[in-house]
Amino acid sequence: MSSPAGTPRRSWRPSTAVRSAIAGERIELATLLRRRVIFVVGKGGTGRSTMTAALALLGARAGKRILAIDVDAKGDLAAALGSPPAGFAPHVVQHNLSVLELRTDESFQEYLNIYFKVPRLTRLTPLARVFDFIATGVPGPRDMLVVGKIAYEERRKESHSRAPVWDLILVDCAAGGQAESHLAAPKAMLTLVRGGLIRAQVEWIDALIRDSRRTTTVLCALPEEMPVVEAIELNERLRKGSGVAVDMCVLNRAVDEPVTTAHRRLMAAMTDPEHADAVAQRLGGSAALLEAGIDLQAHLNGTTARYMRQLRSKLPMPVVPVPFIVDRTGLTTTRAVADALSSRLS
Amino acid sequence: MSGDESAPVPERRRSVRKEPGGLGRRLGSLEVVICCGSGGVGKTTVSAALGMAIAAAEDKRVLVLTVDPARRLATALGIKGIGAEPVRIPKARLRRAGITVSGDLEAAMLDMKQAWDRMIERYSPDRATAQRILRNPLYQRITDSFVGSHEYAAIEALYELHDAGEYDCIVIDTPPSRNALDFLEAPSRLTDFVGSRLLSLLSGGPSRFGFRAMNYAAAPFLRLADRLLGAEVLAEVSDFVRQLQLLYDGIQGRARSVYRLLRSPQTGFVVVTTLEQGPFSEAEFFCTKLREFKMPLRAMVVNRVLPDVFRDPGGVAAASTLVEDPKVAAWLSNELRLRVSADTARFVGRTFLTRSTLAQREVRQLARLGRIGDVPIVRIPLFSEEVSELEGLVRIAKAL
Repeated sequence: MSSPAGTPRRSWRPSTAVRSAIAGERIELATLLRRRVIFVVGKGGTGRSTMTAALALLGARAGKRILAIDVDAKGDLAAALGSPPAGFAPHVVQHNLSVLELRTDESFQEYLNIYFKVPRLTRLTPLARVFDFIATGVPGPRDMLVVGKIAYEERRKESHSRAPVWDLILVDCAAGGQAESHLAAPKAMLTLVRGGLIRAQVEWIDALIRDSRRTTTVLCALPEEMPVVEAIELNERLRKGSGVAVDMCVLNRAVDEPVTTAHRRLMAAMTDPEHADAVAQRLGGSAALLEAGIDLQAHLNGTTARYMRQLRSKLPMPVVPVPFIVDRTGLTTTRAVADALSSRLS
Repeated sequence: MSGDESAPVPERRRSVRKEPGGLGRRLGSLEVVICCGSGGVGKTTVSAALGMAIAAAEDKRVLVLTVDPARRLATALGIKGIGAEPVRIPKARLRRAGITVSGDLEAAMLDMKQAWDRMIERYSPDRATAQRILRNPLYQRITDSFVGSHEYAAIEALYELHDAGEYDCIVIDTPPSRNALDFLEAPSRLTDFVGSRLLSLLSGGPSRFGFRAMNYAAAPFLRLADRLLGAEVLAEVSDFVRQLQLLYDGIQGRARSVYRLLRSPQTGFVVVTTLEQGPFSEAEFFCTKLREFKMPLRAMVVNRVLPDVFRDPGGVAAASTLVEDPKVAAWLSNELRLRVSADTARFVGRTFLTRSTLAQREVRQLARLGRIGDVPIVRIPLFSEEVSELEGLVRIAKAL
């Protein structure tokens, strides 16, 4: 499957360095979208929500029924899809695309309801709180609720056709370390819970997470030191800790339009004392000021290339740059990111 | 830079005269400076630079307490590594990097595990209780997963260091929380947690709060929890909780003193942020909360602000002409006697306009920050190099 027809291509051209960096190891969008669950992880501020939303748009465009889940429940994911904050129940954002937001207490009540047929009652609240305290001390339960809910959605079937309700579930994970404990929760639970009704549930959730054909992770990074270092470490820990596959790293806010000698020559000529006045007259302002833009561009190009190289050398997976998009977060930005992503991946 | 030593009077050294500026002096009289903000805004770097600025402005013994696990700060400070033991940053190195400190600058990294262990030992009524808690397999888990546990450890370490009185000023870099508020709420949350009735319920045994009657009421809950998790887990939890409750008085007392310190006039909070949406709204929220908690906000540091040139109307006009005027390339070719393609002209304009759009947005956000409180707002411009060396840190210290 290639990218859907009519997908506008960005006029953004990667530099040779970046092109060669992504050549060789590529991942096709279609391959990625054939998974059942994709966890999008990364340090705070690395554009996780936008990336999750962009993948969701691409999936829906490819005709898949998509559920996008926000684990942080700050409403960022819904906003990136141009929707008001969603709730615990899947909320249809557009054709083939729904979003839901996870909150621990609600997860817990629904969990009890689904698996143990415990009615969802207000008198459960003290129990929920007791559970919350246990959950604080015991590894697993709290995180299990998160993965449990995701696994439940993955298993959901249409009542008539028995076909899965969702083709693909995209998860906007909580920042860095939290995502790690969510994903490692089943494994941790298995060492801890030797009996109890939970064990059977945990076993199949663990199997789902470890099955690289069904489940994978996408790392998000920025061309800055800490996000890059954390993405590299996170990859290591995710694979070791939870056994989840990591298929791709996205370098958001990549700046990659090279400054050429033609640009520099134009700058030099415009600021040459011989022409400076005439140029200022014609342009409506001094051309010398524009130097700052060129310098910053050149600097950011260099930073992007440097971090691309670092990621490429440390991560055994394709690293995909996504250009810096000036818009505020929201559907416009998400669409632009989706377009950039699809042009790089197909 | 080592090459400078033999040079007559390098530029950099002359510039030492007019620095360090305001914030170092302003915050120099404080005993505790707490840097807060979202993760990724450069909090660690700013705290180190702030410590540097204070040591430069005042003849004081300054400690920068960091929670950054990366070795980056150590490298930036020019020392081999930062451990729990404070390390002094050699004055000569600082001078070579362009800053003269009159005081002493030391750095240490917070060891979470150690901070928690010490805390348990301190609050336990006796050694046996402490040993029992430290040995409980759940103990490490709880210190890792308890909401705000790192924050609490950081506050404890800060409190102890302040109490010991070895340093005139301690600059602390707070842990990267999901919510900066966790830091402020950590002490009371721990007290609530340890003292909660629900924990008494869970612990099953006779409760120090006299809620034995409730154990009966809790039975169905416990039975269900038992079914969910298995009996062994519950027994472990319950034993742990029972031990933990013995610490209640100590923890409660400490929480009170900690809040007293956080509210005292010798303490100052510095909110660090960038102008990106996420960190920015978090910073706004945090400032409001500080006021609510009656904790003194002393300054805001806005990191990575675009240079002023991008706000210059002349630049915007020139860039717009290059981007929008279809005839400009031809005119330039003629005037400059240089073949200028339309693409080249547009590119030069566009690189400027992209940033000036962001710069305009930043102006509005800075104005919003200004309305939050009458504290100084210091902007650190987006430097064209990254801060991974001492020189970079010094430059930020000077900007402060």
